[in-house]
Amino acid sequence: MAEELTAAVRPRWTYRVFSLERTAEGIRLAGTDFLLPGKTAERMLAQCGQAALFACTLGAEFDARLRSSQARDMAGAVILDACGSAWVEQGCDRAEREIAGRFPGMYLTDRFSPGYGDLPLSLQPAFCALLDVGRRLGVSVTDRFLMVPTKSVTAVAGLSDRPQMARIRGCEYCSMQTTCALRKRGMRCAL
Amino acid sequence: MRFEHLDRIVFLDGAMGTVLQQRGLPPGGQPELLNLTDPELLLSIHRDYIAAGSEIIYANTFGANGLKLRSSGHSVEEVVTAAVSIARRAAEGTGARVALDIGPLGELLEPMGSLTFERAYDLFCQMTLAGERAGADLAVIETMTDLYEAKAALLAVKENTALPAFVTMSFEGGGRTFTGCTVASMAHTLEGLGADAIGLNCSLGPDQLAPLLRQLCENTRLPVIAKPNAGLPDPVDGHYDMGPEDFARALVPCVEGGVTIVGGCCGTSPEYIRRLRAALADYAPSPRRSGGGSFVCTPVTPLRIDGVRVIGERINPTGKKRFQQALLENDLDYILDVAVAQEDAGADILDVNVGFPGVDEVEMLPRVVKKIQSAVSLPLQLDSSNPAALEAGLRVYNGKAAVNSVNGEAAVLERILPIVKKYGAAVVGLTLDKGGIPQTAEGRFAIARRILDAALAHGIPREDVWIDCLTLTVSAQQDQARETLLALRRVREELGLQTVLGVSNISFGLPNRGLITQNFLVQAMGAGLTVPIINPNQKEMMDAVAAFRVLSGEDAQCRAYIDRFTGQETKTAAPSAAAPLTLEDAIARGLKSEAAALARTALAEEDELSLVERRLIPALDRVGEGYEQGKVFLPQLLSAAQAAQSVFEVIRASIAEKGAAPVKKGHLIVATVQGDIHDIGKNIVKTVLENYGYEVTDLGRDVPPETIVQAAVEGQVRLVGLSALMTTTLPAMEETVRQLRALPHPPVTFVGGAVVTPEYARSIGADYYAKDARESVEIAREVFG
Repeated sequence: MAEELTAAVRPRWTYRVFSLERTAEGIRLAGTDFLLPGKTAERMLAQCGQAALFACTLGAEFDARLRSSQARDMAGAVILDACGSAWVEQGCDRAEREIAGRFPGMYLTDRFSPGYGDLPLSLQPAFCALLDVGRRLGVSVTDRFLMVPTKSVTAVAGLSDRPQMARIRGCEYCSMQTTCALRKRGMRCAL
Repeated sequence: MRFEHLDRIVFLDGAMGTVLQQRGLPPGGQPELLNLTDPELLLSIHRDYIAAGSEIIYANTFGANGLKLRSSGHSVEEVVTAAVSIARRAAEGTGARVALDIGPLGELLEPMGSLTFERAYDLFCQMTLAGERAGADLAVIETMTDLYEAKAALLAVKENTALPAFVTMSFEGGGRTFTGCTVASMAHTLEGLGADAIGLNCSLGPDQLAPLLRQLCENTRLPVIAKPNAGLPDPVDGHYDMGPEDFARALVPCVEGGVTIVGGCCGTSPEYIRRLRAALADYAPSPRRSGGGSFVCTPVTPLRIDGVRVIGERINPTGKKRFQQALLENDLDYILDVAVAQEDAGADILDVNVGFPGVDEVEMLPRVVKKIQSAVSLPLQLDSSNPAALEAGLRVYNGKAAVNSVNGEAAVLERILPIVKKYGAAVVGLTLDKGGIPQTAEGRFAIARRILDAALAHGIPREDVWIDCLTLTVSAQQDQARETLLALRRVREELGLQTVLGVSNISFGLPNRGLITQNFLVQAMGAGLTVPIINPNQKEMMDAVAAFRVLSGEDAQCRAYIDRFTGQETKTAAPSAAAPLTLEDAIARGLKSEAAALARTALAEEDELSLVERRLIPALDRVGEGYEQGKVFLPQLLSAAQAAQSVFEVIRASIAEKGAAPVKKGHLIVATVQGDIHDIGKNIVKTVLENYGYEVTDLGRDVPPETIVQAAVEGQVRLVGLSALMTTTLPAMEETVRQLRALPHPPVTFVGGAVVTPEYARSIGADYYAKDARESVEIAREVFG
C-alpha cells in the first residue's frame, strides 16, 4: 500500500521568479500588473529584491484516488486525505529546494500563500494565470477562489542576499502552539 | 478542405500567447480582449504566419468562452466574431483557412470539479455557433487534458455546425494527461465520436512528443496532428529552450512516423513555421499501420480485447430485491458498492442495467453512469433496449463504451445502431430475431452475419461488433449447449468477431450449479469466447478465467495466475484461537465481513429491528464514547461505522427478501454549501449517520441554496446538515440557512466544518452546531427521538 502510493503520488510544481518593485499600493512584480498588497507581503519580503511565485499540486489523479478510496473504505480515505495534505507541502519543499538551487548564495524566506495574513485569497485567479497553472499543472480556480484539484498550493517565497529569519514555520509561530498533542509529547511536526 | 485522405503535409500556425507576450502583453493577461482593443496587432501576427507558410491559422479565440469572459463585460459572440473576422481578413486572398480555436474552459468538469458536462457543452455551443456564423472554416479543440471536456466540445461542434473538427490534447512525458487520460483512450474515444483529425499539442517539445505521437498513430485511422512547444520553458524567465532549426529537425521523425498535420505551440513563432516548411518540403504523408483491434475504455483504463475480458453482470435489478429497492429509493451509493466489489474482484468491464418498473431509465442511466465513473475506472457496457436511455447514458459516458444490445430484427437495428455510431461505442448483437432464437448454430450464425452487415452499413467498424450466441438452460433444452458453442466458434473463426456470452443461465434448475456453469464457461472459452458475462464475485468463475489465460498463453509467465493463488492458503487458514468474536467486538474492531457473518447468524434468533436497536447501536455508541474521550481516533470510528454498514446491508437484504418495510429512523439531508468543493468531512458525517440507521440524502458539494431548499421541501425532510470548510464559503451557508428558515415548515438545521464555530452557527440562525460526526448523531437523536 505504502509503496503503491509512493509510486503513484507525484507532486508537480511550476514557478516563476520576478523582480520586485515597491509602489504605494503594494509590491509589484516587475513586467506584470500583479500586486502583492498588504502588511504580510511587506513584512515577509522586506529584505528581498526578487520573489519566486510557485504552485504545487498532487493533480487530478490524487483526487480520483481519494474518491475511489471513499467508495471503498472511508477510514482509509481519511488517512489518505491527511497524507495528501502533507505530500503537497512536501512538494512545496522540493520546489523551494529547486528554486534555491537556481540562486546560489541567495536565501529564501518562509513561503506564504494567498489567504495567509492579510494577503487576500482573491489574488488566486491572477496568481494562477500568471503561472499559467492550467496549462502547466492542470490546476484551475473556482469562482470562490478554491483550487481544483484539491491538493494544490500556491505560494510566494522571497529571495534575499541576507539570511532570512523564520516567520511562519516552526512551533513559535504556530497557532496550535499551546494545544498541539505532538508538542506535549516533546515532538514536533514536519511543518 | 477534406482531411480523410491527405496526400500532403498540412501546416498549421505557431503560438499566439507567447508571441503576444514577446510583443508586450504582460503574462497572465487575457489575450482574447485584444480582438476588440488591438485588432491590427493580431492581424499582423496572422499575416506573419501565413507568410511563413501556415495553411491553417487559429483565430484568437482560445479562451473566448462564457466562463473566462464572464467579468470582462464582453459577450462570447462579440469576442469570437471579432477574432474570426480578423483572421479572415488576414487570410483573404491567400488560400489560408481560419480555425475557430477552442481551449479548455478554465474550470474542471465533474467529478474533479463541479462544472457539469451539460453546462460545459452549452458553453462550447456558444463558441461554435458564433464561430461558424463569423466564417470559420473549421474548429480546433486544443490543449485539452480532460477527455470528458474534449468530448463536450466535440459534440458541440458536431451537433451544431458543419465545421470539420480537429482535437489535440496535452500529455506529460509519461504518456498521460494531467487527469490520467492515456493516448489510446483519447484516440479511440475521439475517433468514435467523429473527430476529423486528432493529435497532441503543447506541454512538451517535439523530441519528447515523438514516442507519444507514434502511439497515437498506432491507435487511430485519422490524420494525426503535432503542435509541440519550442521545448521546455525556463521557470525563472519563461524562455523556451529550443530554437527554430532544432524544432523543425525534431519534427521530421514524427512526420516519418505518420504525422500529417504540423505546427507549433508555446514558444514558437513564424520563424519556426518557416523552418518547418523548409525541413518538410520533400516529405509526403508516410504510410500508416492504423488502428484496428477491439477496444473499449475510460480515460484512465484503455482495454484492448486481445484475450478473455470479463464483463461483470451484477449491476442489474433482475431477480435481485435489494438492487430493485436501491433503484426505487435512488440509492446510487448501493449501486456504486456493487460496481466497486466487481472491480475489486477482477472484472474488466461492467454491465449496467437499471431497467425496472417504476424507474425512469432515461433519467436514471446517465445518473448511474456518472456515479460509477466518479469512483470506478472500468469501462462500462450500457444495457438497455430503450434508445433514449442508451443515448442519454452514452452521452455522459467518459470514454468508449459498449452497448448491450441489438438483435437481428431490422427495426431494432435501425433504432439502436445510429446511436452506437454517433457515440462511437461497441455493440453487442444477440443472435435472435422476430422468429425467436434459432435452434441451430447455422441459424444463429446467419443472424450474426446480418447484424455485422447492418453495423458496417451504418459505418460501425467490424471490431466494434460483438456477437452473443445466447446461452439456453441445459436442463430444459439439452441439445442447445452444443449449438451455442458451435455458433460461437463459427462467429469467431469465420467472421473474426468478438464473442459475448452470458453463461450463468446454463445451469438453471440443476443442483451444484457452479460446477455446470464453470464447465460451460471453460468450454465456451475453448470454442473462442472472448467476452464472458459472469458474476466476478464467484471465485470459481474467475479461477476458471485465470486458468484459461495461462493455457492460452495470454498470461505471460503465468504471472497473474501465480499472484492470484500464492499466499491464499495462509490467508484463509488462520482462524483466531482466542475467544469467539461477538458482533459487538467485530463492529468495534471494524471487521466488516466478520460483522456481516455474525449478523446473519443473529438474524436466526432475533428480528431486524431488535438487532439494530439492541446490538448495533449500543456497539456504535461505545466506540463513539471512546472517540469523545480521545481513546479512539477518527479512522477507527469510521472503520466501526463501516462494519456497522455491512451489518445494515445484511439487515436491508433480509428485509427486502421479506418485502417488509425498511428500518428507517429518520430522513435527513447533508450537503457541502455552494462554492465549497471540500466534501470529505460531510462524507464522514454521512457514513456515520447512515450506520446509525438514518436515511441520508447526500446532495454533494458546491450545492446552491435553492437546490437544498427544494430537496428539503420535496422530501419533507425534518433535518438538514450543512458543511463548509472555507471562510469564503460561509456566506453561502448563511444564505442556505436563511432560505430554509423562511419555509412555512422550516427543517431543523445543523452546521459544521473547519471554519464553523458554535458562535457563528448561532449568529446565522442554525439550530445546532456539530463539532464532528459523532455530535451529528446526537443531534439526529434529539430531532427524530
